[in-house]
Amino acid sequence: MAASDEVNLIESRTVVPLNTWVLISNFKLAYNLLRRPDGTFNRHLAEFLDRKVSANANPVDGVFSFDVLIDRSINLLSRVYRPVYTDQEQPPSVLELEKPVDGEIVPVILFFHGGSFAHSSANSAIYDTLCRRLVGVCKCVVVSVNYRRAPENPYPCAYDDGWIALNWVNSRSWLKSKKDSKVHIFLAGDSSGGNIAHNVALKAGESGINVLGNILLNPMFGGIERTESEKRLDGKYFVTVRDRDWYWKAFLPEGEDREHPACNPFSPRGKSLEGVSFPKSLVVVAGLDLIHDWQLAYAEGLKKAGQEVKLMHLEKATIGFYLLPNNIHFHNVMDEISAFVNAESCG
Amino acid sequence: MKRGHVETFVPPPPQPQPQLNQSSSCEGKMMEDNNNNMDELLAVLGYKVRSSEMAEVAQKLEQLEMVLSNDDIGSSTNVLNDTVHYNPSDLSSWVETMLSELNNPDLDPTQDRSDYDLRAIPGLSAFQIKQEQEVEEESNKRIRLGVGSWSDPGTELTRSVVLVDSQETGVRLVHALVACAEAIQGENLSLADALVKRVGTLAATQAGAMGKVATYFAQGLARRIYHTTETTVNSTVVPAMEEVLQMHFYESCPYLKFAHFTANQAILEAVTTARGVHVIDLGLNQGMQWPALMQALAVRPGGPPFFRLTGIVPTQTDNSGSVQELGWKLAQFAQAIGVEFEFKSLAVESLSDLEPEMFETRPESETVILNSVFELHRVLSKSGSIEKLLTTVKAIKPSIVTVVEQEANHNGIVFLDRFNEALHYYSSLFDSLEDSYSLLSQDRVMSEVYLGRQILNVVAAEGSDRVERHETFTQWKGRLGSAGFDPVPLGSSAFKQASMLLSLFAGGDGYRVEENDGCLMLGWQTRPLITTSAWKLAGAAVSRR
Repeated sequence: MAASDEVNLIESRTVVPLNTWVLISNFKLAYNLLRRPDGTFNRHLAEFLDRKVSANANPVDGVFSFDVLIDRSINLLSRVYRPVYTDQEQPPSVLELEKPVDGEIVPVILFFHGGSFAHSSANSAIYDTLCRRLVGVCKCVVVSVNYRRAPENPYPCAYDDGWIALNWVNSRSWLKSKKDSKVHIFLAGDSSGGNIAHNVALKAGESGINVLGNILLNPMFGGIERTESEKRLDGKYFVTVRDRDWYWKAFLPEGEDREHPACNPFSPRGKSLEGVSFPKSLVVVAGLDLIHDWQLAYAEGLKKAGQEVKLMHLEKATIGFYLLPNNIHFHNVMDEISAFVNAESCG
Repeated sequence: MKRGHVETFVPPPPQPQPQLNQSSSCEGKMMEDNNNNMDELLAVLGYKVRSSEMAEVAQKLEQLEMVLSNDDIGSSTNVLNDTVHYNPSDLSSWVETMLSELNNPDLDPTQDRSDYDLRAIPGLSAFQIKQEQEVEEESNKRIRLGVGSWSDPGTELTRSVVLVDSQETGVRLVHALVACAEAIQGENLSLADALVKRVGTLAATQAGAMGKVATYFAQGLARRIYHTTETTVNSTVVPAMEEVLQMHFYESCPYLKFAHFTANQAILEAVTTARGVHVIDLGLNQGMQWPALMQALAVRPGGPPFFRLTGIVPTQTDNSGSVQELGWKLAQFAQAIGVEFEFKSLAVESLSDLEPEMFETRPESETVILNSVFELHRVLSKSGSIEKLLTTVKAIKPSIVTVVEQEANHNGIVFLDRFNEALHYYSSLFDSLEDSYSLLSQDRVMSEVYLGRQILNVVAAEGSDRVERHETFTQWKGRLGSAGFDPVPLGSSAFKQASMLLSLFAGGDGYRVEENDGCLMLGWQTRPLITTSAWKLAGAAVSRR
């Protein structure tokens, strides 16, 4: 057992830069401590260890941010990131934070951070940084939702919070594009955030809110059977099947298994997406992510249902590649996302 | 180091460090220079790892991984769960600590070090005959966001703003307030006069926290416009009232409790084996911090130490006899719980008047602790005072110095900047009071008055009268660092207990604790409001465990 573990560690070190390896291994180690075998979670230690950053209304590299309590009854917070105002020199005052967006078409990305439904927050440093990068690259507004997490708040809390946030974004007059006085909304997320984006998009379709596109980065899906990629890559690149099982158990309702549509949207229990109003999707899959078979199946499922989907299959990428801008995948994906959300404005 | 500057850097194809075999000598030299610096990409994400250490840290991570993967019965994981963690940003020492925990397990594995008994007494003070509240850990308590202001030393200030979604209604009010302050800054007093009246009208019809905050700020602005010099703005003139207000503030919301609680945690960790403990409290007030500490010392494994408390009071209070009464009550309490106790009070006009001899420390038989809760910032009102005070503190050789301060910069040179900072800060504070719906209205009103007096001082006072000169942790870190103090990180056990304390309060979900660079910050939503930190003399060993 020890020998093959050694091989695993060495292998993962060859495919990512050293600082990426240190970062993700640090998370893996910390997360192992937090998951208890009895299904409970050491939340205090999790919050203690998580590195957080505050919002900053003073622009840094052309982006400023502020937090909004969008639903006081459930303490639902979101962090808004905006490009600096070009028509003024001084940083925005508190009254200017919600100044109307200035453009014919201004995409608004509603972002759901990852963490397998249990970890991280909107103000986690890794996600604050990612959202700032998105604003910089796409020249859009990003709203990052601080959704409730498992195991304390299992299904459907995260989806409910996502739905509330979508309605909030959709009803902000200051986010409306000049062209049609509507908010141009994209849903995005990594890991569990990608899963949430899918489910919120479903509900949006049923309720008549127009979502222009979904961006799913290494989305968290699964199912009952063990796919080939899960068996082959188990434990090799920071993630194990066992930890995936733990998170699903923590998120899904008591007594449910991984055939639940929240876990596997294309299981027999899932609703068909044929003929359903659903946004075009950009699905990014890392080839060294052990659940990539499920992610590929997801993209395939969308296609079969006649939905528009663009698949980016990055065979040499691992989980978390998008957290640091020190690899080619990061830059390729950022470019794709920018093209995806700005497609309407390109002539 | 600017956040995010790497965005503009076009990366070469990824090369795992440290294989830096570049041909160009210029590039090679640059690499050499960079190796001793922190890895910039990880720094932005909250982790401080030197590039030169990266491989070593990776190796330690691998080692830990090995140990844990061979841990079939989960005993190693349990050990690490119970361990107290410190300063997670310093990855190298965090990993190292865990490795050594596993290699040298605690001598007494049955002792749960993470549970000092401080949480049993959130509502207890020396005089009130209150029921002790048992703190029960509810199994499904949701503790969500942490809070913090991770500002790099040396970069521009971070402006952390939380909007509560009823923005629309308060907009005109905030607008008028800010415009009035701008007019004052620009010395356009007639405009300011018109605006402050407008604020008054708007505030009267504004419900909730916003209206109350605006009223206090308007009062402050009015005083500034009419050059009213009210000496009662300086709280030490009417100390008895100040103390009553503070007591209501203490009862009604968690800020003071958090301050006392976390400071006591740090103290307890520093005196685990001390035979004698001498606490010097720079602001005795009603002594509310000490019963809980004494109680925890009473049940310390190995028996309580001899406990000596020296409380500093402002000269004006000393005459009233209330301090002696306080000392006597604390002595009674100590006797009741079986702790040998000694009490002394020192009356000074200003903390900078303190001299080391006044404390009569007994280095052979006691560990000296210096405690300052919301006192240090006052000393900034006179030039040279803080340096004098810190020199005195160093001279008494404390094992640990606990500092609690407001997390805000209300000491900037420009009035308008101070005004804006304070407006954000106190809006958050008042907002948090609004949410505690289990609050007795009398407690809340008193708390608002208590805070209102601070607002008046920040906005209207100047020179030595302006004592509410709050500064951020980053700023205090700079001051204490240059004065010869090193930080002592507060750990996960203090964090956990502070979090649990917060969950007791109605509206507890809105309060967040966050660990940041070794200190603990308490905030409302994501806005940090209070910071607790601990310090020791530079170069001294940390006496812990």
